[in-house]
Amino acid sequence: MPDFSVITQNLPYLLWGRALEGQPGGLLLTLIMSLEAGVLALVVGVLLALAAWLSGGWTRRILFAWADFIRGIPLIFVIFWLYFLLPSLFGVNLPDTITVVLAIAWFTSAAVMYSTLAGLEALPKGQVEAGLSAGFSRTKVLVNILLPQALPNVLPSLVGVFISLIKDTSLAFIVNVPELTTVAGQVNNRTQIYPTEIFLFTGAVYFLLCGALSLTVHLAGGRRARPA
Amino acid sequence: MTGVSFDFAGVLTGQPGQWLLSGFLMTIYVTVVGALLATLLAVLLLGLRIAPLAPARGLAIALVELFRNTPILVQFLFWYFAAYNLLPRSFRDYITAEHPWAVLPVGNVLLAPEFIAAAWGLGVFTAAFLAEELRAGLNAMPRGQKEAALSQGFGHWETLRFVLLPQALANSWQPLVTQYLNLMKLSSLASAISLAELTYQVRQVESYNAHAFEAFAVGTVLYLLLGLVLGQLLIVFGPKPVGARARRRAVKANRSATAAAIVGASGDA
Repeated sequence: MPDFSVITQNLPYLLWGRALEGQPGGLLLTLIMSLEAGVLALVVGVLLALAAWLSGGWTRRILFAWADFIRGIPLIFVIFWLYFLLPSLFGVNLPDTITVVLAIAWFTSAAVMYSTLAGLEALPKGQVEAGLSAGFSRTKVLVNILLPQALPNVLPSLVGVFISLIKDTSLAFIVNVPELTTVAGQVNNRTQIYPTEIFLFTGAVYFLLCGALSLTVHLAGGRRARPA
Repeated sequence: MTGVSFDFAGVLTGQPGQWLLSGFLMTIYVTVVGALLATLLAVLLLGLRIAPLAPARGLAIALVELFRNTPILVQFLFWYFAAYNLLPRSFRDYITAEHPWAVLPVGNVLLAPEFIAAAWGLGVFTAAFLAEELRAGLNAMPRGQKEAALSQGFGHWETLRFVLLPQALANSWQPLVTQYLNLMKLSSLASAISLAELTYQVRQVESYNAHAFEAFAVGTVLYLLLGLVLGQLLIVFGPKPVGARARRRAVKANRSATAAAIVGASGDA
């Protein structure tokens, strides 16, 4: 019979780790990492989409090649590469949490770029022509006319991307950053005999988090779009 | 990074070279077995999802949402540490016994807890995504198809198998390929449950002789290469869209097909 007392006994640790000692962990760290990486990926991804829209030829091709490369390798390799490259770029070892957040943001910005660009290109051509003939520059047309319309349109697909990002933070387990999956693994190693209870609980937490987000999009009328 | 010299011979020959080759093959094995399993489970899920019985549909929706909205890494941990140990003792003894027929080249053992948990985990997770893509392909088809089949005396499963599925498969092949390629990339996470695939072996080489850059580079290139080859094979040998309009669309799409499939853009984990 499942014995969920292992969960109740370790609940504070699973939910916020050592937050009281100034080291957030568990679900709290998962949320912090998701928000940090999400904001970063959104900003970088939208900027890349704007750059791709404004530029033609080689710049655009390089942007796509970059995005294709990053999506063509497993995320764990992006994390490995940053572990290897960041210290030689900055000369110092960044905290593991920051390295993982940067890797996930970098990985996700490619999906944000694709979604945003699709939204920009789905708008009627007349919008650009009207803007240009009214004397706006191409950049002005893009930022003041197209982007405010495109972003709400691609919001469902961006939420889909964010759901993937939340799930991706679980990869921190592999490099031992103490977010939810890692602390669940620690509790499992310590107690040994309750893997079913521990991983069912962990799965349920992610399910509530991601399921609620995907339900919100569904109720708001958008279908959970395939990212990009 | 001046003064750093690269030593690729240090990872491509001798013991490290053998590890990487063995890991690369293991990645291919687990991808193939996982993909077959995913396909089978996806068809089952799809059958339930469009069944006339409401509880069956409910079950399919619940399973799809459950597997899509939890990280595959947590699913791996659950299958490997929890579910596997709930299996009957006699079955587990059989798995851990020696089976010369289940040992593939370079000594990769397929009948092992790690391989079974990884292939099953990849299969179940990907099945949820495949089933949704197939359903989108089905929804794009005129209702008359199903009604015609049913009025010809086909049963529910026969209609699905002989009439609906072949068309849905052809119509949604592109996103399906994306999901299969994603499965291949996600197999890298099976290293967390000690499956000795490519990522596991790359890390082993790194801790063996500290050739981090070279090991990561070889791993990166092998994943990209495998994605390119697999994507190209699936598109060349995959079903072609049905109907003239779909064919025209496909010809247009094919130009960027492989690239798009590899990017996938999804990358759900």
